[in-house]
Amino acid sequence: MRVMGWIAWRVILEIVRDRRTLAFFFLVPVLVMSLVYLALFQDETARIAVLARGAARLFVYDLERALEKQKDVVLVPLDIPDDERDPQKLRTDIEAALRAGQADGVLYFEESLLAERFAGKRGTLHLYLEGSRPTLTGLVASAVGDATDDLAAALPVVIDSDCSAKCANSVNVKPLEVAKHYLYGSEDYRLIDFFLPVLLPFFVFFLTFILSNITFQRERVRGTLERLLIAPLALPQVVLGYMTGFLLFSVPQAGIVLVFLLALIGFPVSAAQVISLCAIALLMLLIALLLGLLVSFAARNEFQAVQFIPLVILPQIFFSDMIWSIDRFAAPFRWFAMLLPLTHANIATRDVMLKHQALWQTWPHLLALLAMAGVVLLLLSWVGRRHRDRVG
Amino acid sequence: MIEIEHVLKTYRGHTALHDLTLSIPEGRIFGLLGPNGAGKTTLLRLIMGVLRPDAGTIRLFGGLAPGVLEATRRIGYMPQQLALYEGLSVRENVLFFGRMYGLGGAALAARADEVLQRVELTARQSSLAGTLSGGMMRRAMLASALVHGPRLLILDEPTAGVDPLLRLRFWDWFRQLAAEGITVLVTTHHISEASHCSEVLFLREGHILERGRPADLIARYGTADLEAAFVQATQRALPEAAALMNGEGQP
Repeated sequence: MRVMGWIAWRVILEIVRDRRTLAFFFLVPVLVMSLVYLALFQDETARIAVLARGAARLFVYDLERALEKQKDVVLVPLDIPDDERDPQKLRTDIEAALRAGQADGVLYFEESLLAERFAGKRGTLHLYLEGSRPTLTGLVASAVGDATDDLAAALPVVIDSDCSAKCANSVNVKPLEVAKHYLYGSEDYRLIDFFLPVLLPFFVFFLTFILSNITFQRERVRGTLERLLIAPLALPQVVLGYMTGFLLFSVPQAGIVLVFLLALIGFPVSAAQVISLCAIALLMLLIALLLGLLVSFAARNEFQAVQFIPLVILPQIFFSDMIWSIDRFAAPFRWFAMLLPLTHANIATRDVMLKHQALWQTWPHLLALLAMAGVVLLLLSWVGRRHRDRVG
Repeated sequence: MIEIEHVLKTYRGHTALHDLTLSIPEGRIFGLLGPNGAGKTTLLRLIMGVLRPDAGTIRLFGGLAPGVLEATRRIGYMPQQLALYEGLSVRENVLFFGRMYGLGGAALAARADEVLQRVELTARQSSLAGTLSGGMMRRAMLASALVHGPRLLILDEPTAGVDPLLRLRFWDWFRQLAAEGITVLVTTHHISEASHCSEVLFLREGHILERGRPADLIARYGTADLEAAFVQATQRALPEAAALMNGEGQP
């Protein structure tokens, strides 16, 4: 019992005297829990725009009121000319608005809707969906479905030939038909298809970061890193050397994750998409390696190095557009998200996989990843110099 | 070989070296002696160019600044820790460090054979470093510090944890190296074994207490060995140390 007490005393004393570890001990959970709270606290809200042409405009007011009653959707205006009647041009404009991220869904009333209703048909509403985010697509579709039930009651009543005018107001209200048009994907997209592609950059980042962090920490403790830093080598030579070594293992590892994902993804994937994914994964590998080295240098002992793992990984799970859309976050958190490498990798991956963009079209995100790698390399040379001074 | 003039180095307000001036000639075994915290390792790191002095200058090999590639290539370093890659064999470790200094091909293989033979590890060259005893690891470290043919060999506590017989062997090797014209700069806090050095420097709290050949220092202080001479030198330089010694019944 006494021995146990002394062991506990030794552990406590050592941690208390290592102020940085102590700070980590309490700050990391508080920080991570705050991030989880912030991520979960904000409900996902879908943006819907309503467009109508001709006499159908008469019912926009009713539909908008019906949509406003729905949870988790907001109405947004679209910058499409009111007098545009060419259906092809209108469709192009709607798709452009969806592509530009102005709305998650656009509900379009054709002029012919009323004529259809008067002709005894159900009448068709057109719902244009952005489609790359299943949760938002689901929210839009469900809100529109509920709202059109309400709207159907406000629209001219369709009377079946075998029903008298007397019964029309009570029972014979036919629901509206909603024709869905997807900009990206289709109705067959499953929720899992949205998450699966981004697992590749995540796994590459997560596994390489831990591997690099622990490897360098081990080398530091063993003294071999010091021997390398004393040898006539430039720091980039050392970093690139390690990167090449890790590549041999990380690339097949990424390959296994990729093959597994491709087998699970429920839509066809082209060779160009696979190559683009590999390029994004390679960039993540570079950043993870550099960050692992940076953390390893910044940490003063193994304890601190381990504490850095949740600090680096968890915010990237919650704020990298991986699970929750960053669009719904308040501006400061959106900016924070844009500072995380995984955010750019995830957006680029989804652009390639779900929006069928070519790799070059995701250049702002690739450039951001390269810039981050450059910044980490600069920080590394600065921390590396401090590390060498500290060794003395 | 090494010219140090008025070097000052401080860490967070603590002065590790005070106005140190020193000249170390070529082909000598130069011992830096002193207790932990005396400034030995700081001085080594300044010479290797890992640290920069806050004041003063250091020149190596007839005018090179520490840290420049020309100087770094000519320095071999053996740290205090057992700094080898445990997953590599002894030979692979030696070859790896040789490559880090720009060696390769048949020349490197020949050099590796030579240094492994010198430290008597040829028979164990295929063993993984992680499976070696502490003494063997120290020998492998010496081999890997020598593989690129340095002109200055810096050894930080090279015999720490080594048994007495092997320790003597290490000093034999250092003498052979010095005879070949290599300057061996060695730190130790086992002061008695420093009698093997051609010249020693007593360091205490960043100050030079004494410098000279071990035999001369022993004669100067009239002591039986170098360790007692070091104690005397410390007592003279630092009265509080003398008081402490006397309080404990020491002469």
